[in-house]
Amino acid sequence: MSNDVRLPAPFGSLIDRDKTISFRFENKTYQGFAGDNIASALAANNQWLLSRSFKYHRPRGALTMAGQDANTMIQLPSDPNALADRVAISDGLEVMGQNYSGSLNRDSGALLGLVAKFLPVGFYYKAFFKPRGMWERWAPLIRKKAGLGVIDQQFQPEYFDKQYQFYDVAVIGAGPAGLTAALAAAKAGAEVLLVDENPSLGGSLNYSRLDAEGEKARQLRQRLVAEVLASDNITAMTNATCNGWFADNWLPIIRGKRLYKVRAKQTILCVGALEQQAVFHNNDLPGVIMSSAAQRLMHLYGVRPGKTAVIVTGNNDGYAAALDLLDAGVEVKAIVDLREQPEYDAVAKKAASKGLTIKTGHAVFAAHKDRSGLHLGSVEVRKIIRQGVCGDQSETILCDTLCMAVGYTPTYQLVCQGGGQLSYNDNTSMFTLTNCPQNCQIAGSVNSHWLIDDVIADAQRAAIIASNALGLSNETPDQQLDISLQHSPNFSWPIFAHPKGKEFVDFDEDLQIADIINATRDGYEHIQLVKRYSTCGMGPSQGRHSALATARLVAAATNRTVAQTGVTTARPPFSAEHLAHSAGRSFYPARRSSMHYRHLEAGAQMLQAGAWYRPAYYGSAECREACINSEVNNVRTNVGLVDVSTLGGLEVRGPDAAEFLNRFYTFGFLKQPVGRARYALLTNEAGVVIDDGVACRFGEQHYYVTATTGGVDRVYQNMLKWNAQWRLDVDIANVTSAYCGVNIAGPKARDVLRKVCSDIDLSSEAFPYMGVRQGTVAGIAARVIRVGFVGELGYEVHVPQHCGEALWDALIEAGAEQGIKPFGIEAQRVLRLEKGHIIIGQDTDAMSTPAEVQMSWAIARQKPFFVGSRSIQELDKLPAKRSLVGFVVDNLSAPIPLESHLVLNGDRMTGRVTSCHFSPTLNKPVGLAYVEPDKAEVGSRFTIKSSGGVMVDALVVELPFYDPETQRQEL
Amino acid sequence: MSATTVTAALRRSQLYRRHIDLGGHFEQVAESTLVSHYRSIEEERAQVKTLALVDLSALPRIGFKGLGAPDWAAAQGMTLPAQPNRATLQDDGTLIARLSQTELLIASNLSGASTHSAVAVSAVADTTLAERVYSLPRADSHSWLVLCGDLAAETLAKVCGVDLRPHKFANGEVAQTSIAKINGVLIRNDYGDTLAYSIFSDSSSVEFLWDSLLDAMAEFNGAPVGVQALRDC
Amino acid sequence: MKLLTCPLNGPRNISEFTYGGEYHPTPDHQLVTPREWAEHVFFHDNAAGVVIEWWCHTASSYWFLAERNTISDQVIRTFPADEIFNQRVEFNQPASSGESN
Repeated sequence: MSNDVRLPAPFGSLIDRDKTISFRFENKTYQGFAGDNIASALAANNQWLLSRSFKYHRPRGALTMAGQDANTMIQLPSDPNALADRVAISDGLEVMGQNYSGSLNRDSGALLGLVAKFLPVGFYYKAFFKPRGMWERWAPLIRKKAGLGVIDQQFQPEYFDKQYQFYDVAVIGAGPAGLTAALAAAKAGAEVLLVDENPSLGGSLNYSRLDAEGEKARQLRQRLVAEVLASDNITAMTNATCNGWFADNWLPIIRGKRLYKVRAKQTILCVGALEQQAVFHNNDLPGVIMSSAAQRLMHLYGVRPGKTAVIVTGNNDGYAAALDLLDAGVEVKAIVDLREQPEYDAVAKKAASKGLTIKTGHAVFAAHKDRSGLHLGSVEVRKIIRQGVCGDQSETILCDTLCMAVGYTPTYQLVCQGGGQLSYNDNTSMFTLTNCPQNCQIAGSVNSHWLIDDVIADAQRAAIIASNALGLSNETPDQQLDISLQHSPNFSWPIFAHPKGKEFVDFDEDLQIADIINATRDGYEHIQLVKRYSTCGMGPSQGRHSALATARLVAAATNRTVAQTGVTTARPPFSAEHLAHSAGRSFYPARRSSMHYRHLEAGAQMLQAGAWYRPAYYGSAECREACINSEVNNVRTNVGLVDVSTLGGLEVRGPDAAEFLNRFYTFGFLKQPVGRARYALLTNEAGVVIDDGVACRFGEQHYYVTATTGGVDRVYQNMLKWNAQWRLDVDIANVTSAYCGVNIAGPKARDVLRKVCSDIDLSSEAFPYMGVRQGTVAGIAARVIRVGFVGELGYEVHVPQHCGEALWDALIEAGAEQGIKPFGIEAQRVLRLEKGHIIIGQDTDAMSTPAEVQMSWAIARQKPFFVGSRSIQELDKLPAKRSLVGFVVDNLSAPIPLESHLVLNGDRMTGRVTSCHFSPTLNKPVGLAYVEPDKAEVGSRFTIKSSGGVMVDALVVELPFYDPETQRQEL
Repeated sequence: MSATTVTAALRRSQLYRRHIDLGGHFEQVAESTLVSHYRSIEEERAQVKTLALVDLSALPRIGFKGLGAPDWAAAQGMTLPAQPNRATLQDDGTLIARLSQTELLIASNLSGASTHSAVAVSAVADTTLAERVYSLPRADSHSWLVLCGDLAAETLAKVCGVDLRPHKFANGEVAQTSIAKINGVLIRNDYGDTLAYSIFSDSSSVEFLWDSLLDAMAEFNGAPVGVQALRDC
Repeated sequence: MKLLTCPLNGPRNISEFTYGGEYHPTPDHQLVTPREWAEHVFFHDNAAGVVIEWWCHTASSYWFLAERNTISDQVIRTFPADEIFNQRVEFNQPASSGESN
């Protein structure tokens, strides 16, 4: 560490001079102190060059020392584009510069700067627009040049987390306004969150000079911070960034690896203002810094910015910086004041009394490199003869530091995200903010208050408004100052074009004055178009230092006022965030049937259907098809057992239960006998099929209705919504998770069930197909439903959830003799397909009507009403557009069609396959497909474009494919 | 304390495999089996004070709804909260939550011998329910976890978007909300002076919820404990 | 994230709710013309201004109505459905053309 660079205390409030830390930059070892960030530690070692610029690979160094610009973007091992003036150093940290070819000091890419005039704004659009194909050829080369940083593909994910927090008042920004507002709100009794992105509370009080003596800021900070820390009502978060403002004061606040999702009743944004650069030739050279950056370096990190400094200023803050520099032993060569007749405050007067060279009405016209070519060596000062134009005579002043103090832009991002309006006050040459969202105030310099007493009063005013809104106080807040009449630190035109250009408006994208002007000449006069055409403001710092200069330039170029020109929209996030913060700890709920582990023990391959885990098939993945076929065969010839716990279950009870179902589903339910089940098809108001199930009538006033696994939540919600309107005397309950169940199916199902069920007469006469009974199975209270989804004799047995394993075990044991085997969802799909049963959502889509899917039989047309009745009535009058038909493929060597394969008629697409599988029972592929109505006749043939583009001939057959007389399920 | 085996004959939590893996000692309460403790009772008593997760899913509970439900319940001697989203502890430790004007959730005390819940459960079996009173099988549809200890609210803030801090969410308050993206009923029901939140949510999702809560608890050194430590509060 | 105040559960993040579409009175399905019925089913007013919408608090399955200004996205008030739907709706056989809502 170069000792002549480090300053003694009280400079360096953030660093601990007793703790030395070693880190590496560009493979060279450096030392800094605990509390240093990478940029300050490197500056302490006289290393100013940090990275190269995006487009021309120009050398860049610290600009703001506040993590607000893209100049300090460096590469950490697993973190590209980290900010050197934000990231604290740590032992062994490996840091590299970015965006160079060869070495940081000698970048061959920098030659691009020499041809910059041939790379005007819009270059890519213009150059590669024609001839066709040109862009495709060049894109890979250009893309290699573009982009920032390197992704670490070996990156190991780390544990990021999220947490909700709740406050009465969130104060963003802990400068003098934020501290004051937080204290005032806390005193009124509010729970307050105070957030600041910097390592220490106090904001500008940490580094700026409020009085000639240089004591006031420190004293004020000490007092306010002590009070804040002593307050039980204030939670202070430093190193925390509020990255957006969302509706109803929903604030994403990032600290370390945690994203806090903060809900505040009131928000007070005391986010301050961002100092702006002067625009002149070579204003991007390392060593050209904001005056606030110089002050931060000295006061926060104890780093002397240089040996010899020039200050270019348009306000009195430049004089404050001069006094600080003098205190730090820097030789101040000159203060170049853009103002013809400056109005000095006490601080400026003191600086003026120091005998410094002060050149009023002058500008820095150009900066020049030193001998290394990588740092500022001198500035060229000229007299301003009119707005933006200098005289011909120039004076060169040798210096290694140039501090810029020409004005500020309010940190408008969060306010604008909330709908706030950014306007321009031509009187003060300042952006101003109005139209804050409800329950959100702004205070301090973001609200165009610059004098410390005004700032404090403004913060108190905002806190009173917030406390009043919370009902904690009932005071009349002070009238807000008329900001257009206030003293302004903004110089109206700190922009000086140079014959050789390189006066940077946007450092991120290397945009110069001519680029902005040319954009307007190319016809892009609207500020939003200028942004997109020139890319101005689209870089990592999102226009923080380019919006003001751009607005001024566009206004002048288009003969409008800046107020008329406006600015572009600011969107979240305020600063770059890791994707991991959004991903964080995410929740992907998983639902398991109570028989889940029995499936695993039986070797099931599980699949996730929605949130549910379901057994796909039992056996190893290598013999998937064989497993499925054998499960199918076992159901057809013996007996199988499938877990149907995921099916939706809804209890519909009460005097109007039947009336309710009669209105909700398409079928008739009023005359349904107790002890019987009926197919329940659900259509929406447009007459589109959206769900199905069976409605089991267990009592005059009691139905148990099943719904599809994926549809039940929506069906339940729909039922409640309709009954909120109909007001029938009925209760509807979703009991899906309360019941688990199995379907025991196959010709031997009755033989097995009989062994464990003695209180229900299972004979076909006593308990026919579509009958429902309550009794006990294996001693467990059960609802038994005779249904035939798979086309065999079958019983669904529904029991309370906690009895799932007991039921499963009992049936497997009872069926051993009959060769019972579990079967999975895949076999069930094949079985139902053979039986011609459709699956809602697979064989239907958002347009499927009952008639199209051959379900007209399930519609009771005599009913006065059901949800889709009028639409179906109208649809019936129209010619059919398509029809879902069963088909077989007789050519066994053709590739089996898959779901969504197209049905073609010549070269017209006329439909698609919805289900298709090789049927082990019929020994050929069978499927369902939408075809044109004139192809729906049994015996019609149509063409499917199958895998690999092979055209497959399909034959329409009668449904079901299997057991057309439906004798087997009625055994 | 007798070591009870978890058998299918008894009502058991869907989490019982987790409990066996964690070395849980089981006890039998009426027809249910639940974890008495995993570690020493002294350790678990201390754990409960800071941050602990307890699975009470095997204990009895039931729900009722319908226009007649409040009057019917009152006629059974239950004291109901006056307004929705409040819960009242009965003299025998039974917890009765009012989820809407016409819906109740009744959960047993920790001994499992809760008169009120027993009466309520048997009423359903006897089908003696009054008109417009409909039972809900909450013991099967919903799992029951208790998150307790001083850090319980801080932990819940990682999985739930409702302000549950003790000074904002009083004992007896009910939130029907989403916990780790699982919908459920969350009731602040302190045991003694130990801050505690009972979470009733979809039983098929309980393994996911259990794992999510333990994960959220990890940074605070939270751990599962058995029912005994809760009884000792 | 917006807050929405459920009449049963109080203010909650809007992620706890399911949107149920615009509310507008259902026409008598037996009397309206096909055109009117199609407009009822498929068209939405999509008005710029205050509209009434259905919302459901998902965790409690509670349906209610909200008055929302679609220009400012401000929810003016929320209220239980029985404020509008206060009596049982009957559907009569097509022959008798009674009121349906």
